[in-house]
Amino acid sequence: MDASHMYNNLNTKLHPDNTTCAGPTPGSSIVMPGRRSVIKSGMGMLLGAMLAELSAPEMARAAYTAKKAKPKSCIVLWMNGGPSHLDTWDPKPGAVTGGPFKAIKTRAADIQICEHLPQVADVADKIAIVRSMTSKEGNHQRAQYLMHTGYTPNPTVVHPSLGSWVTEELADPHFDLPGFVSISGPSYGAGFLGVQYGPLVVQTPGQMPQNVAYAADVDAGRFDRRQQALAMLEGNFAKQTGDPKVSGRVSVYGKAVKMMRSPRLKAFDISEEPESVKTAYGDTNFGRGCLMARRLVEAGVRFVEVVLDGWDTHQDNFNRVQKQMNTFDPAMASLIKDLTDRKLLDDTLIIWMGEFGRTPKINGNEGRDHYPGAWSAVMAGAGVRGGTIYGSTNEDGTKPADKPTPVCDLFATYAALLGMDNAKTFNTPIGRPVSITEKGTPIAQLIG
Amino acid sequence: MKRAALSCLLIVSAAISCTATCFPVPARSDTGGTPLSPAAIDHMVRLEWQKKGIVPAPADDDAAYLRRVYLDIAGVIPPAAAVSDFISDHSRDKRAQAVAALLDSPTYADSWTNYWDHVLMGGSVRAQTVDRSAFRSWLHSQFDHNIPWDKVVYNLISASGVNSAGGTLAMAMGAAPSPSAAAAQGGQPEINGATNWLLKYQGKPEDLSGNASRIFLGVQIQCAQCHDHKTEKWKQADFRSFTANFINTRAKPVDAKANTKGMVRVLDIEDVARPFQPRGKKAGSIADYASAEPCALDGTSFSDAGNRRRSLAAWMTAPENPWFAEAIVNRIWAHFLGRGFVEPIDDFRPSNPANMPELLHSLADDFRASGFNIKHLIALITSTQVYQLSASAQAKPGVGNIYWAKYRLKPLSPDQMLDSLVQATGIKPALEQNVGSNLDQIRYQLQRQFQFLFDVDEEFEQKDFEGTIPQALMMLNGGLVNTSVRPIPGTALSELESIAGGDDACVEALYLRTLSRKPTMAEAAMWKHYVNEARPVAATAPLAQVPQEITRAKKNGKKGAPNSGYNPLAKAAGKLRSVAATPRQQAYEDMMWALLNSSEFMFNH
Repeated sequence: MDASHMYNNLNTKLHPDNTTCAGPTPGSSIVMPGRRSVIKSGMGMLLGAMLAELSAPEMARAAYTAKKAKPKSCIVLWMNGGPSHLDTWDPKPGAVTGGPFKAIKTRAADIQICEHLPQVADVADKIAIVRSMTSKEGNHQRAQYLMHTGYTPNPTVVHPSLGSWVTEELADPHFDLPGFVSISGPSYGAGFLGVQYGPLVVQTPGQMPQNVAYAADVDAGRFDRRQQALAMLEGNFAKQTGDPKVSGRVSVYGKAVKMMRSPRLKAFDISEEPESVKTAYGDTNFGRGCLMARRLVEAGVRFVEVVLDGWDTHQDNFNRVQKQMNTFDPAMASLIKDLTDRKLLDDTLIIWMGEFGRTPKINGNEGRDHYPGAWSAVMAGAGVRGGTIYGSTNEDGTKPADKPTPVCDLFATYAALLGMDNAKTFNTPIGRPVSITEKGTPIAQLIG
Repeated sequence: MKRAALSCLLIVSAAISCTATCFPVPARSDTGGTPLSPAAIDHMVRLEWQKKGIVPAPADDDAAYLRRVYLDIAGVIPPAAAVSDFISDHSRDKRAQAVAALLDSPTYADSWTNYWDHVLMGGSVRAQTVDRSAFRSWLHSQFDHNIPWDKVVYNLISASGVNSAGGTLAMAMGAAPSPSAAAAQGGQPEINGATNWLLKYQGKPEDLSGNASRIFLGVQIQCAQCHDHKTEKWKQADFRSFTANFINTRAKPVDAKANTKGMVRVLDIEDVARPFQPRGKKAGSIADYASAEPCALDGTSFSDAGNRRRSLAAWMTAPENPWFAEAIVNRIWAHFLGRGFVEPIDDFRPSNPANMPELLHSLADDFRASGFNIKHLIALITSTQVYQLSASAQAKPGVGNIYWAKYRLKPLSPDQMLDSLVQATGIKPALEQNVGSNLDQIRYQLQRQFQFLFDVDEEFEQKDFEGTIPQALMMLNGGLVNTSVRPIPGTALSELESIAGGDDACVEALYLRTLSRKPTMAEAAMWKHYVNEARPVAATAPLAQVPQEITRAKKNGKKGAPNSGYNPLAKAAGKLRSVAATPRQQAYEDMMWALLNSSEFMFNH
C-alpha cells in the first residue's frame, strides 16, 4: 500500500474550497507520555487495529517497514525575500498593476505564465500553480517562519520546519547521510522535535559540506588512532557515570564518522556531472544547488531546501525579477526533467515558494513592496495533478478572487502528497499537542 | 520609523497594593526569619530520598567540584594551575572560598551576561532597532554590581530612554568594537541598554508580555493568546489585560533625519500619556489589547496608573508576588542542579506541580529575605551536599533522577564550550599576536558558529543527549580544535617540550588543562603506552585557506548561516607553521584532540 493511499483510507475529509481552517478532529486521542513520542492520530489507530495481535516491537517494526516501503522526498525551492506573483506565475499584462512582462502559452493548455519562464513553460504539464495564496504576515521574519513551519510565530513553542517533520516521519534513522540538507541558507530547525531532525547546511553549492574532510596533517590512519584514544576515554566515562547521555553522544559521533566515510558522500559533489548537465541547470549558485538537490534525493536524502535570495525588490523590481527568473527557470525546469527521466518525479515533491507576494501597486522606485494578501505557490511531482491552476486573483491581482487558500491548507496538501499523517500530533515541551499542519485541509484538486 | 509602538509614562506609580488577599499565596514553610542553611536544604532532600528508597551518589572530589563551580558560576573550566592549587589546599572551607572568589571575579558578570542575553534575546536578533551590544553592556553592569534581582527586572520591564549611542549594525551585533563607552563620555544622552529588549518586540506587545510573564514569573499566559483552554486557569481576557500594560510604549527617533542605512536606529523609548488608539491596517490585533483593561495577573487594575508599565513592573517584582521569587529560584536551581523543581523551568501552573514544593518555597523565602540577592542564592546552593554529589553510576537515583540524587550531566553551552576550548588549549596568545585587533570579530564569528551549531532550547530539560552530526564534524575535523592542538607558541602542546618529568608530567599537564583533574594510574599508563607506540608520521597536507565566508556572510546578511568551517586560527597556524615532526609529538596532539572531543570535557559533571 503506498503512502498516499494510506492517507486516503484515513477517512480524512478533503475540503476543496475551504478558506477558514477547520478545527482539529476531536475524539481520537491516545496520549502517551514523553514530549515527542506521542501519537494520537488516525494512522495510529488504524495501525493499532490492523496489528492488534502483534507485540509492541513487532508493531514498531511493521510500522517502520510500511513507512520505509516507498518514502517520498521533497525539494523546496525557497524564494527568499518574497517574489511578486504578477511578474511570475500570475501575469496580468495590460492591467495597471501588471508591469511590463508579457504572458506566454505553456505545454499545459490552460496555463499562461511570465515570458521569462520559457523552460518551465515547457514542463508546465507537470506543475500545479496555486494563484490564490493569502496570509497575514507581511514581515520577513514572521512570514519566513510561517512558510517554513506552517505556523505563525508563537513565543510558547518553536515549531519544527517542514524539513524536520519530513525527516522525522520519512527518513531512515540508520541512513548514512543526513535526512535534511539546506543549500545556500540555514532553513529552519526542528524546534521541539529535537536537533537531530534539523538541517545540515551547505553554504556554497558546489562545495562539500563543512568539516567532512580530515583536518590538515590527518590521514585515515591517524584519524583511526584518534578514534581509538577517544573510544577509551568515552568507555571509561560511560562506565563511571552510567549516563545514557554519554552513549547518545558516542552514537552521534559514530554517525558523523559514518557520513565522513560514506560512499554516498559524493552525492554532494556535482563536479562528477557532465558539463552539459551543469550548463542546463545554469551557471549560478542556485543552478548548482538544484543539481546538488537532485543528486542528494537520488542518494536517498529526504528533504532538500535550495535558497534563491534577492526577491526583496523594493526598488528596480522588473530588472531584478527578470534576472531572478533567468536564474531559476533553467534550474527548476532541468530539475523537473531530470527527475522525470530518472523516474523519480512521482516520488519527489518539488515546491516553489517564498514568504509572501509583492504589492500589485508599483511604487515610486519602480519597486514592489511586501504583500501577503495575494500570491502564488507552485508544486510538481509526488502525485501533484500536473497542468493545474488552482484559484485566481482579481483583475489587478490585489486579492484572491476564487478559492482563497490559507497557508495551513497548502501545508496540509504537502503533507498529503508526501504521505504524512496530518492528524498525527506531537507534544511540545509544555505538553500541548501540535500536528504537522495546524488546522489545514489538503486541496483535493491538486492531488492525483 | 513607524510611530505606532509600545509605551511608558514618567509618573511614579503610586503604591501598588497587591497584598496576599488578591491572590492566594501558596502555603509556605515557616522559616521564622532565620536564613535557610545548606544543612536544612540537605535535610529536606534526604528525607525525600529516604521516603523514595533512593540511594544517593557518593560526594564528588575536589577537582570535580572546582570544575563544576567554575562552569556554573564563571562559564569556563578552571585554569590548570587553579586545579593543582585547589587539590593541594588543605583549608577546611576551601570550597566556599573558591565560590566566593568566583562570585567576586569579573568572569561572574561575563558569564551571567551571556546567560541572560541568550534567554532574553535568543540566538540572533536582526533588527535595525536593536543594539545588542548596548543591551549586553546593561546586563553586564547589573551583574557586575550585583543589583538585586527585583531591581534588575523592574529596570528592564519599565525601561525608558535611549537605546543606543549609534554606530553600525555590525557593531550592534557584536562583530565590531562598540563606540558606546566613548560616546557616553562625549556628552551624548545617557544610554539605557535595557530598552533594546522592548525594541526586540516592537509592534508585537503580545510577544513582549508573553515573554515577560514566562521568563520572570514562570507563567505561560501567552498560551491563552488565541483562545481559552478549558483545563487551564488563564483566559484570553487575562492575556489581553496583561498585554494592555505594554501598548502605550512608543519609540521615537532621536534624530529623524539621520542616515539609517547599515546603522543602528537611535530611539527614545517613552510611554505616551494618552491611551494608544490603533488605526489602519495594524489595528486588528492591537485593538484587542488597546481596548482591554490593563491588569496584573491577579486582577489588580492599572487603569488609573500614570504609567502602566511601571505599575506592572512594581507588581511583578514586589515581595508579595506569588511567582517572582519562585521563578528565579527554580531557574537558578536548575542551572546548578540540572533540573528545576518545576520543569520546564518556566511553566508554573497547578496542572504542572513542583517537585518538593516546600523546599522551593523555603528557598524563595530565603531569597526574598536576602533582598533578592543572586550571589547569596548561588553561595547557598553551591554549599549544599546535594550540589556536591558525584555523577557516579553507583547511585540508585530513582526514575529520571528527579531528586538530584546524583549529579546530572549538563552539556556545555556554546559560550562555555568556546571559552573552555580556548582556555584548555592556550590558543589565545596566538590569536592575539597574529590576528590582533580583530579579536572581537573573531570571537563574534566563533560565537555565532558555536551558537548556531550547538544551540539548544534552554527552556526544557534535556532528557537525552541531542547533539547533531554537524556539531560532531566540527569537533572532529574543524579548524578550531585541530589548530588549537598544534604546538603553536603559547598552546598546551608547545609547552610540553619544556615540561620536566617526562611522559608522566606531560600526561598530567594535559589532563589538568582539559579535564581539570589528574589522570588515574591506569590512565597514565595507558597514555604513556599510546604516545610511545610505533606509528608513522601522518601525511602533511597544506592548511586550508581561510575561506571568504566572512564577507559572504555579510553579503547574505539576511539569511547567512554562520559557517562552521570558518577558521580564524588558520591564519595564526599558517604564520607559525609548526608541524609536529615526530611520531611522539603527533601522538600528543592526538591525545589532546581526544581529550577535547571527550564527553568528560564536553559535559559539566
